[in-house]
Amino acid sequence: MADDLFDKQEFVSYFRDESDELLQQIDGDLLKLEESVGEGHADPEIINSLFRALHTVKGSSGMLGFSDVQNLAHKLENLCDLLRKERMPLSESIVDILFGGRDFLTQLIEVAINGGDLPDDLSAYTAQLDQSVAVYEQTSHVIEGTASGAASFEAVATTGTASKSAQDLAAFEAEVERLLEAASAKKAEEASAVAAVAPVSDPVVATVVAPVEMIGEPAINVQQPEKVAAEKATAEKGPAQKRTSLNQTIRVDIDRLDTLLNLVGELVINRTRISDIATTLERLVSDRALEASSGLVGPLAKDLADSSALLARTTNEIQESIMKVRMVPIGQVFDRFPRLVRDVAKARGKEVQLEISGAETDLDKTIVDEVGEPLMHLLRNCVDHGIETPDFREKHGKPRAGTIALNAYHEGNQIIIEVSDDGGGIDLERVRARGINQALIGPDDRLSDRELIELIFTPGFSTAEVISDVSGRGVGMDVVKKNITRLKGVFDVDSISGSGTKFTIKLPLTLAIIQALLVRVVDELYAIPLDSVIESQRVEMTDVRTVHGNEVITLRGQVVPLVRIAEFFELGGKRDPEKVMIVIVGLGGRQVGLVVDSFQGEQEIVIKPLSDVVGRIAGISGATILGNGSISLIIDVHSLVSEAYTGGKATRAEYSGV
Amino acid sequence: MADATVERQQLSGEAIKVVSFRLGSEEYGVDIGQVQEIIRLVAITHVPRAPRFMEGVINLRGQLIPIIDLRTRFGMRRTDSTKQTRIIVTEIGSKKVGIVVDSVSEVLDIPVENVEDAPEMIAGVGTEYIQGVGKMNDRLIIMLDLTMVISENEKSQLASIDAVVPT
Repeated sequence: MADDLFDKQEFVSYFRDESDELLQQIDGDLLKLEESVGEGHADPEIINSLFRALHTVKGSSGMLGFSDVQNLAHKLENLCDLLRKERMPLSESIVDILFGGRDFLTQLIEVAINGGDLPDDLSAYTAQLDQSVAVYEQTSHVIEGTASGAASFEAVATTGTASKSAQDLAAFEAEVERLLEAASAKKAEEASAVAAVAPVSDPVVATVVAPVEMIGEPAINVQQPEKVAAEKATAEKGPAQKRTSLNQTIRVDIDRLDTLLNLVGELVINRTRISDIATTLERLVSDRALEASSGLVGPLAKDLADSSALLARTTNEIQESIMKVRMVPIGQVFDRFPRLVRDVAKARGKEVQLEISGAETDLDKTIVDEVGEPLMHLLRNCVDHGIETPDFREKHGKPRAGTIALNAYHEGNQIIIEVSDDGGGIDLERVRARGINQALIGPDDRLSDRELIELIFTPGFSTAEVISDVSGRGVGMDVVKKNITRLKGVFDVDSISGSGTKFTIKLPLTLAIIQALLVRVVDELYAIPLDSVIESQRVEMTDVRTVHGNEVITLRGQVVPLVRIAEFFELGGKRDPEKVMIVIVGLGGRQVGLVVDSFQGEQEIVIKPLSDVVGRIAGISGATILGNGSISLIIDVHSLVSEAYTGGKATRAEYSGV
Repeated sequence: MADATVERQQLSGEAIKVVSFRLGSEEYGVDIGQVQEIIRLVAITHVPRAPRFMEGVINLRGQLIPIIDLRTRFGMRRTDSTKQTRIIVTEIGSKKVGIVVDSVSEVLDIPVENVEDAPEMIAGVGTEYIQGVGKMNDRLIIMLDLTMVISENEKSQLASIDAVVPT
């Protein structure tokens, strides 16, 4: 066989994806296992899931020749096997060994793929692992030796049969038949040959093959049938077990989806164009401008309108379907947090419960990839700064274990992610003291609570007395905010002293197609993303006042600063002496009024990046092509406003939000 | 310049196919290989704060491409567009760019021996884009290298754009 019969690189990349997923699953299983330590034995389903994941890692790494990974996975698998057979009691130390093993697996996989040195403490760890396994394995063999091979095969058949659906039953029985035959024929021979013949790709077959592998030895695993049954049961449960449903999914390069999405974008543009034409035609007909031929054109115009409506509907559906293909559950990101919170809590001597809800909430793949890091920072922060020590909590009448709730849900075209804790809240006095200490504010500055909270987003700001490896180095909150803003998201903090902090992140579901308000400024059309628009208003100049040379209006008691887009972009044009047309946009709880010449209605637009055409421009996030073929630039509300106000035009008191 | 000389040597004995266009009273020519297409003037969308050499962007069948006005570029007085105004679409460093000219006349075959090097006739800096001058009967055609119309610096502004992640 030629060496390059298969593209190893491709397999390695598949292996990386697969093992990432599996390691995450292992984490989840271990956490569940940890919870059941008190009961002394674990739910067999969890152990089985763990076992399967390790088994897959072992198999794949073996195929690629990653022997270090394979060996460790094998050893861990042995350990799980003992747990599964209840030959080993479940204890905290065992769970810790498993956690350790999982971490070494991560490192070894990294080393196997990218090269590098094996971790120093690996041999010490494997020695410990071997020892724990060895102690129990002895007993295990003795006990198992008493079971007769034939009897346990009976057991496989009966237990298996009892829980099968008719369809599965036939396949299962045939499989057992075959295995029984194979077993009797090859009893004296090496059983591994059978395993090699069987198609190992099917998970069910693989597990049934497993007992046969052991036929060479007198010992047969009595617990095995339960495992098979459990596996079947979980397979029927569906999405709860990601691995078993993997057969129905395919991995698609995100670039291909992007191409498809671009094409659909074109389709949307043309759809809008066609409906424009249809509308115009219908109007002309009804205006009798086409009187002479209206008898003919009338029905045609109606047909065109009808089919363009149909086209619109189909295009919308295609667009939505592709969007949905790009959507992945945010649980992909959430999955790794229980482990993170556990580790941080342990390191900081705190007791923390992480409650996750809404893990099934979908959002665009690109956003999912980006949102993990800010969330990680937030959670670390909650554990480190938010949740108090168990003793402190007890003294203040709270349960010893703090609770962090991670919640996601859809709201309109947005996804809301909330991270809340029942800790001490943000200590505003300490924030103020730190702010003064770090010369971010003056000692006599009067800041509202909100403005004080904003301080924690200043780069370099930290209230932690001690710099830990978790947080307190002053990186974190500013990064969180920056990342969220980059994703066109909005970030909000609510904090009640003594009872907790709640961070709210609002993100768009997708970044490619948005609703926008079109406005005219001088002689160009600009699009303002509708998600940041609060309202649009016509305001008399007599109601516009100036503060410190900046124009402001008062809107329901709130002072709203104005930015004249024409002047900001130096487009020329004249100020209307009588009135201003204002689009009020919201930015993290604050409001700013953008002054435009007129409003041109709302429209769904496809964002085309402008940065690869003319470079990145502050205040403009992209462009879109309108139904009539003309181009409209999309205003980047965040950067426009932040630049308008850091350009020395506003003082901190008026605007400190962005 | 060196490239142009090499090119001409390779083509020796042949004629260069050139798209000729007018800018004011002068006639220019561009190697036909540099011309992707010629379109009528369409609405140019002004992009505030874009690099100075850029007039704006247009929609070319769903693709956004930047536009450079050659009159502005050459420091000539700007005029209103006419029915003859055209955009020559070319490629600069793998990016499509549209060049606005007063009018496009025809495709000419200029014998290589009729093209003279520019430096003999035109002194000064910033004329890297002039490859030479071609003579056709009594017409003088200024041979342009469109890819040199924007400076290296400006080109790097275009090139660096690649690295920017679209938001």
